[in-house]
Amino acid sequence: MRVALFIPCYVDLISPEVGVSVFRVLRSQGVEVVYPEGQTCCGQPAFNSGFFKEARGAARHFLDVFGGERFDYVVCPSGSCTTMVSHYYPFLFRELPEDLERAESIGGRVREFSDFLSNVLGAEEFGARLEGRAVFHCGCHQRRELGVLEEPQRILRNVEGLQLVGWENEELCCGFGGTFSVKMPEVSVAMADEKIRALEKSGADTLVSCDPSCLLHLKGRLDRTGHGVRVLHLAQVLDPRRGRVG
Amino acid sequence: MRREEFLENIRHRTRYGRYKPTKAPDASWTPGRRAAAREIGDPAARFLEELEALGGHGRRVGGLEEARDYVVGLARSSGARLLVRWDVEELERLGADGPLREAGVEVAVWRELEDFREVAGRADIGLSTAEWAIAETGSLVLESGPGKGRAVAILPPTYVAVVPVERLVRTVSEAIRMYAKRNSLPQNLCFHTGPSRSGDIEQSLATGVHGPGEVHVLLVD
Amino acid sequence: MEKTGERARREGIESGVEGFNERARRALADPELHDSIALFTRKTLKGRAARLAELPDAPGLRERAYHIKQETMANLDRYLAQMADAVEERGGNVFFAETGEDVVRYVGELARKKGAKVITKSKSMATEEIELNRRLEEEYGELELEVVETDLGEWIAQLAGDAPSHIVAPIMHMNRRQIARVLSRVAGEPLPPDVRALAGFARRRLREKFLAADIGISGANFGVAETGTICLVTNEGNGRMVTSIPPVHVVVMGIEKLVPRFEDLEVFVQLLARNGTGQKLTVYTSFITGPRGADELDGPEEFHLILMDNGRSKLLGTEFEEALYCIRCGSCLNVCPVYRQTGGHAYGSTYSGPIGAVITPLLKGDREAKDLPHASSLCAACWETCPVGIPLHDLLLKLRSRQVEEGLAGKAQEIAFKGFEEAVEHPAAYRAGARLGRLVQRPLVRDGSVRRLPPPLSGWTDFRDLPPLAERSFRELWREGID
Repeated sequence: MRVALFIPCYVDLISPEVGVSVFRVLRSQGVEVVYPEGQTCCGQPAFNSGFFKEARGAARHFLDVFGGERFDYVVCPSGSCTTMVSHYYPFLFRELPEDLERAESIGGRVREFSDFLSNVLGAEEFGARLEGRAVFHCGCHQRRELGVLEEPQRILRNVEGLQLVGWENEELCCGFGGTFSVKMPEVSVAMADEKIRALEKSGADTLVSCDPSCLLHLKGRLDRTGHGVRVLHLAQVLDPRRGRVG
Repeated sequence: MRREEFLENIRHRTRYGRYKPTKAPDASWTPGRRAAAREIGDPAARFLEELEALGGHGRRVGGLEEARDYVVGLARSSGARLLVRWDVEELERLGADGPLREAGVEVAVWRELEDFREVAGRADIGLSTAEWAIAETGSLVLESGPGKGRAVAILPPTYVAVVPVERLVRTVSEAIRMYAKRNSLPQNLCFHTGPSRSGDIEQSLATGVHGPGEVHVLLVD
Repeated sequence: MEKTGERARREGIESGVEGFNERARRALADPELHDSIALFTRKTLKGRAARLAELPDAPGLRERAYHIKQETMANLDRYLAQMADAVEERGGNVFFAETGEDVVRYVGELARKKGAKVITKSKSMATEEIELNRRLEEEYGELELEVVETDLGEWIAQLAGDAPSHIVAPIMHMNRRQIARVLSRVAGEPLPPDVRALAGFARRRLREKFLAADIGISGANFGVAETGTICLVTNEGNGRMVTSIPPVHVVVMGIEKLVPRFEDLEVFVQLLARNGTGQKLTVYTSFITGPRGADELDGPEEFHLILMDNGRSKLLGTEFEEALYCIRCGSCLNVCPVYRQTGGHAYGSTYSGPIGAVITPLLKGDREAKDLPHASSLCAACWETCPVGIPLHDLLLKLRSRQVEEGLAGKAQEIAFKGFEEAVEHPAAYRAGARLGRLVQRPLVRDGSVRRLPPPLSGWTDFRDLPPLAERSFRELWREGID
C-alpha cells in the first residue's frame, strides 16, 4: 500500500506536528508513505470566498503535483481539505471535461485520515493510551459531505484510559468557516462560545477532532478565554511516539 | 401583465440546460433509533390515542343513542345555550335536537340561516359529522357542501363530530389518494386535527386561539 | 458633500459584510433574544426528529419531493396554464402578477370595487415579501382600509411594528413579557405575561375582525395545477376563518408553489408539517378549490388567485433554480448555527436564515443583499435538513462567485486572492512567503501566540489567539527525516 500525504497548508506552516503524527501512525501500519513536496494549498480559501477562477488555479496545481506521483491513496488529516478535493474540485470543473476527469480520478482516491484507517486499512485499534475525558468534534464537511462520523469515535473508544463522552448539540458547526471567521468574527466567535459552553457542561478535559482548522479556531478561543482544555488532532492521540517528542 | 406574455417568459426560461446537484445526506433523515415507526393495528384505537395526545376528546360509542346522550350531556354540563349543527341526514338520525331543546339548549340547523355569522358566532357548540377520519393523525376529513357549513367547525368554542367507525382510513396518504382519484373536489376540504392551537408565544401551547379549543369526536359503531 | 448614510452604504458594499455584521452585533448583545431562539429551536428540532422517525421512509419522501419539484419547474408554463384553467372552470378569477406592484394594484382596485373596509389576512410570506399591508395603506389611503394580520404571531408583529423573524414562527424573537407589553398597549390595560391570557385577548379582538371582514387574503402553501386547488396549512384556525367567512377570498401565491397533481400533496403536506413544526399534520390542512357553490351558506362568493412572479422566473433554467423548490418549512433556519446566534432580523430581509441568504439576492439582486451569501460558515446543516434537498450551501457558494464576477467583492479581496493564487501555484513563492511570515511575526508573538494583527486579520485576533508559524514547516521536518 502506497500513500501520498496531503498536508494542508496551515498544518504545514502552523501545526506540522499533526502531519508528523499522521506519518508515524501510517508508518506503524506498514504503509509506504510519500510526500509530494510541490504541494501548497488546495485552494479552499479562494473557493469559499467565491474566487472560483483562482481556486481552479490552485486545484490544477494540486492535480499536477499529485498526478505526478504513484500512489494507491491520498491521505489527508483534514475532513475539510479532503472534501475540497473529493467533492468541490469536480464542482469547480463541472463544465470543464478535461479537468473534471483528472479531478475525479484523483478526488476518488483522497481519503480523510480516520476514513483511511478504518475503511481502507480496517484498523481501529492502535494500542494508544491517553488519560482523560474527551469529546469529539466532527468537522462539518466530514460529517455531511464525507459522512465519516462514527469511524473516528470508534477509534477513540479503543484508546486506553480515554473516556469519550457526548456533548450537547454536537452537530453544530464550531464557527470557523474559513474566511467567515474573519469576515463575520462576532458571529463566528459566538458559535465557538456555544461549543465551549457545551464542552464545559460535558466535563471533558480534552477536545479531539479530525479537522485542524476547527481546532485552530476553538483552541484560539479557549486560550483567549483562559480555558485549560487539551486540544488534539486524532493523529496526535494515536501517535506511537507521543510523549517522547513535543 | 397578460397571461400569454407571462407564460411565454416562463416557457422561454425553462428551456435552458439543467443542473444536477449532489444528493443530500441522509444523516438526519434516517435516525438510528427507528422504534418510533409503528404499524396501525386497530384504526379506531389509534385514532382515539392520537386525538387524545393532541388534547382532544375521543370516544368510541356503541350506537347513535349513546352518541346522542354524550352530546346532550356535554351541552348540559358545559352550560351551552346555543348549538349549531350541519343539516345532514345522519344528524337527523342522531335525534339530539329534541333532547337538547328540552334541556334548554337552542338548536340552529345550517339551513336558510338569516345571518350565519351571527348564529355560528354566538353558538357555544358546533356539531357535525365527517366524511372520513384518519387513524394515523387523529384527523377529521370535512367537506363543504349544502348543509355543511365551514363555520360550524370553526367559530364555536366547542366542536363535536359524530363519525361512523367504518369511515376510518388509516393514513394521510390514503386520504389524499382517495381525493386525488375524484373528478371534482368540494370547494373546501379540510383535514381537521385536534383543537386549534398556537405555539407563537414562547412555544407554549395555547389552545382555542381562533378555532375551537375543545374538540370531541364520537366514533359510532 | 456626500451624505454620511450614502458613504456608509458604499463602504458597506466595499467591505462586503457591513450590514449583516452591524445587525448581528445588536442581536448578539441581546441575551433575551438568545434565550428565545434557543428555546424555539430546541423544541422544534426535537419534534422534527421524532416525527421523521415515525415515517417508514422519510428519505424516500424527500427524494420524491425533489423530483416532483424538478418536474414542476421544467414545465412550469404548462402547469401554470393548467392551474389557471382549472380555477376559472370552477368560477374563480386568475391574475398573473409580474411584480409586487401588480399585486398591490389588483388587491387595491378589488377593495375599491367591493367598497371594502376590513381585510383579514392569514399568514403569508409572499405578501410580506411585497409589503402588501403597508403599500395598500399608503397607495390606497383614500379607501381607509384596515388590514389585519390574524395569525397570532403575525398580529403581534404587526402591532409591535416588527417584521417576522422566522418563516414559520414570526415572533420567535419575543418572550411572553415583551408580548404582554405590546398587547397591553392595545388593550389599554395591563395584561399578565400569561400565555392563556394573551391568547384569550387575541381571540376576542380578532373575532370581531373575522366576522366583519369584507375580504380575506391568504397565501398558499401549495397550488395544485391539475385541480386548481390551493392548499393551506395553519394551526390556529385563522386561515380557515379568513378563507371561509368573508365574501371574497384572495390568494397571493408565488409561482413556485405549484405541484402538478393532487396526489403530490401526500408528499408535501406531510413533509411540511413534520419538518417545519414537528407535527404529523397541522391542525387545519385545507384544500380550497374556487368559490363556494350556489347552495352553500358560507365560504367566499368570489375567489381570486394571484400568481406572482416578482423575480422568481429569473431563476428558471439556471443553476439557481433549486432555490424555487423551497416549501418554506423554516427548518434550515432552525438548524443554522448562524441564525441561531443572530435570529432573523440580522438578515435585514423578509426571508432569513440560509434560504433567505439564498433567495433574497436572487429575487432582489446581488447589490441589494450583498452580505447575505457570506452570512454562513457553509456547514451544510441547511442542506441536510431541507425536506426537498436544496443544496443551499452550494447555492451560497455560487452566489459568492457571482458577486466576484460582478466585481462586487472589492479591490482588496481581488488583490489578495490574486496573490494567493500566485503563491499556491508556485511552491517557491509559497515557501518564501512562509519565511517572510516567520520574520515578520517575531515582534507579534507573546507567550507562544499571536494576539494582535492588522485588519482584516484582526477579525481573528480581536477574539482569539493564533499560534505563530512554526519554526520548521512540515516539509522541512520531512526533509530532515521524521523518526
